[in-house]
Amino acid sequence: MGLKTSDIEALIRIFDESDWEEMHLEIGGEEVFLSKDPAARGPAAVATAASPQAAAMPAAPAAAGHAPAPPAHEEGGAPAHAGASAHEGWVAVTATNLGTFYKAPEPGAPPYVSVGDRVAPETEVCLIEVMKLFTTIRAGVAGTVREVCVEDAQMVEYGQTLMWIEPD
Amino acid sequence: MTIDRLFVANRGEIAVRILRTAKALGLETVLGVSEADKGGLGAELADRAVVLGPAQAARSYLNVDLILHAAKATGCDALHPGYGFLSEKPELARRCAEEGIAFVGPRPETIEALGDKLSARRLAEAAEVPTVPGTDHIGEVARAREAAEEIGYPVVMKASAGGGGKGMFLARTPEELTASFTRASREAEAAFGDGRLYMERFVERARHVEVQVVGDGEGKVVHFGDRDCSVQRRYQKLIEEAQVTAMPAPVQQRMREAAVRLCAHAHYRNAGTVEFLYDMDREDFYFIEVNSRIQVEHPVSEEITGQDLIARQLSVAAGKGIGIAQDEVAFDGHALEVRINAEDPRNDFLPAPGRVTDWHPPEGEGIRLDSHMRAGDMIPPFYDSMVGKLIVRGRDREAAIEGMLGAIRDFRLEGVATTLRLAAYIIGHPDFRSGAFSTRWLEDRALPAFLNEE
Repeated sequence: MGLKTSDIEALIRIFDESDWEEMHLEIGGEEVFLSKDPAARGPAAVATAASPQAAAMPAAPAAAGHAPAPPAHEEGGAPAHAGASAHEGWVAVTATNLGTFYKAPEPGAPPYVSVGDRVAPETEVCLIEVMKLFTTIRAGVAGTVREVCVEDAQMVEYGQTLMWIEPD
Repeated sequence: MTIDRLFVANRGEIAVRILRTAKALGLETVLGVSEADKGGLGAELADRAVVLGPAQAARSYLNVDLILHAAKATGCDALHPGYGFLSEKPELARRCAEEGIAFVGPRPETIEALGDKLSARRLAEAAEVPTVPGTDHIGEVARAREAAEEIGYPVVMKASAGGGGKGMFLARTPEELTASFTRASREAEAAFGDGRLYMERFVERARHVEVQVVGDGEGKVVHFGDRDCSVQRRYQKLIEEAQVTAMPAPVQQRMREAAVRLCAHAHYRNAGTVEFLYDMDREDFYFIEVNSRIQVEHPVSEEITGQDLIARQLSVAAGKGIGIAQDEVAFDGHALEVRINAEDPRNDFLPAPGRVTDWHPPEGEGIRLDSHMRAGDMIPPFYDSMVGKLIVRGRDREAAIEGMLGAIRDFRLEGVATTLRLAAYIIGHPDFRSGAFSTRWLEDRALPAFLNEE
């Protein structure tokens, strides 16, 4: 699973408010190193590949030291309604209900849309599946896809931002 | 099996109640919420809360697919349905079983058998539990009039699929029966998608009494005493108490045994309530129905037995049995429960959603509050109006009454209209204190007197 911009922003905020000197986080193949020492140049040791179990853990909540959320299952567990990087004027495409997000009509197929694609209001942008029932989500606005906020096959909650579109 | 992570498929005070026990037992908890409840106390207490859908129950709490998907995707191995919503839908129980999730409730076929009033009645008869003299389905008014002659007026017609008083009416004469029959059938059809009606003898002076049981699904059933829920308005309970004090002890004992016999016969699994109509004149009880879920009023039984009924539910759902034998269930004292509804009794009980600006519940010996409210919380207009239940235990009924009156006096609650003052009026009423009331007392006597008072 990948870290989203919003996750990193959240981590920085938490780190900033903490009394920690530095934070080194590895999730899957990705690393985040934060330090309050201006002289710091990076993590002391180079990380080895993270275990698959760690890769399946939710990113932000575990690092945040909040009440321990049960580790999410399979689909991973982004915190609800991750704000993503809302630029002024961008329009969010949100989940119409809880379900599993799919970016492509079937496994291996090209995604409905990618960052930079032009969309019309009727353009299909992703699927949400609930117990094998798939619902097509449409862009709802004409513009350009600027960010896709959710990983493929991840559980999303009602109202969660799926992607950002910059309207024409 | 072992339950490690519990999905709670409900809201309000019962979600909070279930979460507290689950956490005390060391379970991980996930709460499915609607958009309207995501800032609520339940969402705060649960290890994780997931937003199912918007506020409308049909797109959140009543959607079986969404709830199952959420339970699976969050890795839950058990699901507690609470009361109301999907708690007595066989479909949820069946789908949970298909997905390998332990349903904290009866088997789907048990819910089905008990949910249909006629099949429940046949079960009762098979277990030699007395039922009110009555009929099978009646399709036309002529047949209804014949049956009423046999049973004797007054009679009551009820919807086969019914509950909550819908599709139900009383007839004292053949004319009344004729006048109401078609309308009741239509109402039942509209409310439940099933317009079938049946008829029963009407008990003139009745008490609503019920026995709390827990069954292990293998035929073992333990009862946790009985409750009196006779203070009702339009078949909605307002005040409940444990134990029943209106029955001679031998009759009360026979009723408890009948409830256990019925549930043992059905191989009932889960906490459940067997409801009876008690005829004050004949000093006899008749089976009404089984509620195959935890009930709103379960705390009064917990208070007088010292038992946690939610924990018993989780135990039998995990296949670990009831965990207590009948002779280990001891009864001590008397408990009263008052439902606090955000409704205005002076305005025909109009729901009064809004913001609770002040919320300072009373505290003290024997006082318990089951609620999801905090000062500043919103009562959303989308769901039922109950904001909590005030429960008081005393060494006897008189002490519980005094304790409850004091507790209501000390309750500071501002911002919305509630039924709390009405509850104090009822509990302080001489008829309530002396036990001289029936299921119609509130509507016929106490409520008009209360409304005339100021």
